[in-house]
This record gives sequence, C-alpha cells and structure tokens, in this order.
Amino acid sequence: MKISSMFSRRFAPILFLTVLVPSVHGASNSAARVRAFASLPDWSGVWLSAAWPLEVSGRVPGGEAQLKEMLQLIRPPPYNATWQARYDEAMKDTAALAARSATFKACTRSFPALMEGPWVFQVVVLPEETLLVFESNQVRHVYTDGRAHPPDDEIWPTRLGDSVGRWEGDTLIIDTIARKQEPVAPRAWASTLSERAHFTERLRMIDPSQLEDRLTIEDPIALAHPWHITLTFKRVAGVNRAIEYDCAENDRNPVVDGKLVITPP
Amino acid sequence: MTTPKALLGVAALLVALQATAHHSGAMFDDRKSLTLIGTVKTFQWTNPHCWIQVLAPGPQGPVEWSVEMGSPSQLIRGGWKPRSLKVGESIRITIHPMRDGSNGGLYMSATRADGTPIAVPVTNGSVAAASGNPQ
Repeated sequence: MKISSMFSRRFAPILFLTVLVPSVHGASNSAARVRAFASLPDWSGVWLSAAWPLEVSGRVPGGEAQLKEMLQLIRPPPYNATWQARYDEAMKDTAALAARSATFKACTRSFPALMEGPWVFQVVVLPEETLLVFESNQVRHVYTDGRAHPPDDEIWPTRLGDSVGRWEGDTLIIDTIARKQEPVAPRAWASTLSERAHFTERLRMIDPSQLEDRLTIEDPIALAHPWHITLTFKRVAGVNRAIEYDCAENDRNPVVDGKLVITPP
Repeated sequence: MTTPKALLGVAALLVALQATAHHSGAMFDDRKSLTLIGTVKTFQWTNPHCWIQVLAPGPQGPVEWSVEMGSPSQLIRGGWKPRSLKVGESIRITIHPMRDGSNGGLYMSATRADGTPIAVPVTNGSVAAASGNPQ
C-alpha cells in the first residue's frame, strides 16, 4: 500500500470533518435574509390563552362558569338553517351528552381549538415562516415565503389545516384551509364546520404582555355568515422555556365503567 | 358530510363543560372540600398530572390518598418545584374529594405542618429576571 493511499484513507475523513463540514455549517445568512429577519417583530417568550389562567390544581380559578364566559370557540357557530336544525336535534339527547362530557379527555386539539387551548406556546418568527410551537407537541407552520396553498390534487384535510401567511407591518395575516372535520367530542371547539371552512387570522402584539388574534371563519356549507372571534394570549410569568407535556407519561385517570377514576401510583 | 352524531359533541359543551385542562372534572365533587393532615408518601412530578400520595390517619391505621394536581408546567407557574415536598414530611392539604368515595381528590391548597406555604406563585416581575427577556 502506498503511503499516499494510507494517508488518504486515514486522514481524509478528518480532513472532511475539520475543513469541509464547518464550511458548510458555518455558512452565514445572506445580507438579504438578515435584513428580512431584522424587519420582523420580536414575539419571543412563552404565551397562553387568556381564557386559561390555570392554577396549580390544573383548573381555572372560577371553574366552569369562568370557562363558559371566557372561551369563545365553544359558542354555537352562526349556522345556516340546515346545520342549525341538526344542532338543535342533537341538543335533545342530554343523557348521551352528559355521559360523553363526564369522560372527556384530551391531550391535543385541532385548529382553531388549539389557539384557545390550555397549553403554553412559543412563536418563532423567521423570514420564511412563523412557527407556533405548543406545549402539547403540536406545531403550526405558517409559511410566509410567498407560496400558495397546495393545489387541489395535492392537499387533504388535516387537524391543523394548511396555513400560509404574509406580513402587513407588525401584523401576521394567516390564511388556513383544509381543516379536517373531526368526529366531534366535548371541547372540540369549532370542529363542527365543513371541510370548506376558511380561516383568516390577524395576529399581532398589542402590548409587550399580550398577543391578539382576530379570527374570521367563513364556511359556505355550514355558516349563514362569517364568524368573527378575537382571541387574546398573555405572556406567561415565571417560565423561561417550554416544558414537556407528555400526556402518556403517567396517566392515572382511565375510564372505567363509563366514569373517570384514579388509579394507584 | 356531517351527521347528527357528529353534532352531539358540540351540544355537550353546553350541558357540562368541565374546567380542568386535561380531562373532565366530573369525578370531583366541587361542592365539598376535605382537609387531610398526614405525611407525604410520594410526590410524583409527572405529566399529565403531578400527584401527592398522602398517608392520613384512618379508623384502622394510615390510609393512602391520591391527590391530583396540574401538570409540571402549571405547577412551575404556581411556584412549585420537583422537590417542593419531601417523603415523610407532614402536610395539611385540602381537596375536592372523589364523588365515588374512593380515597382521592383534586388539589385545592396545601401548607406544611407549621402552616407555612409550600410554594409562592411567580409574579410578572420575575419573568424578565428569569428569562432575560428585555420585554
């Protein structure tokens, strides 16, 4: 074996790792990207829906009454006559409703319910996209690089839908379609809309401690007119990072004989 | 295509909306409170709920109670830490008891045996110091 060959075999990987890899990973942002980033608002921090000022118990201070007052997406949508009739019919079976409600459990939510859920989130603003990263391990990707939604033959309904966005000053305009119509369960906020529902959000910081999300929902199949909702998020005190929420880690509340119970540790 | 069955859940919201973050609170009796004076057997710092296992005196010896709390994220915001309680420590804890009569309930409040608080909720003023966030 020639010395030069041995040298190559022995040291080529080291040469690659020490010279080539850093040159790739050390690539600087382009001046254009730096300028784009510098023009974007700073929404760093940890945020939580104003409807969920949770206590150590995992409940809100005012219990059910407070939630009914604060949560907006649980209110009846402005259905058209056909969908309203179905809704009214479903309201009659109070026994079934009570049973479903008593055993309700949830670790994730679909959009837009996720925006009014009990989990903290962070907003990562980049030139190409804004990410809303939730404690529930769900992420909304809002692409702001000018792309359109996928064409009809490349899109299908999902729980969070497909979102694209654009900036108007310090306001992020988010356009979401293809939201999956799920089998509805208690607290499945606004899930009972058709898969033609179209969501437009205007997300902005109204002061250093609050974000505001003006949401308009249009649905030519289910709604009589657009549904306007304003959601507010509060900067969370006392935490400087997102904390893992692994719902399966130690779930001691199984449903037994139609009721939630507590199991031993 | 939406079916009447699919609409049932939305109607349920108006019947019995529950107030806990992870699951229905129907198993807890909101109208009752029960104070336990006992010792900490274990303190589980886990998701989706933290738990305090309390040994409290019963008619035939110590009885173990399971006290459900929020998630670690919620407890941190309330000033709690993973080692806020020690095994064997005396504690006074008030709960909403289980409706089914089992030895468990939802955390309402707690102090150490001498009455001192276990945790002090963090305030807005501590955020900047904790995170270094200029805002």
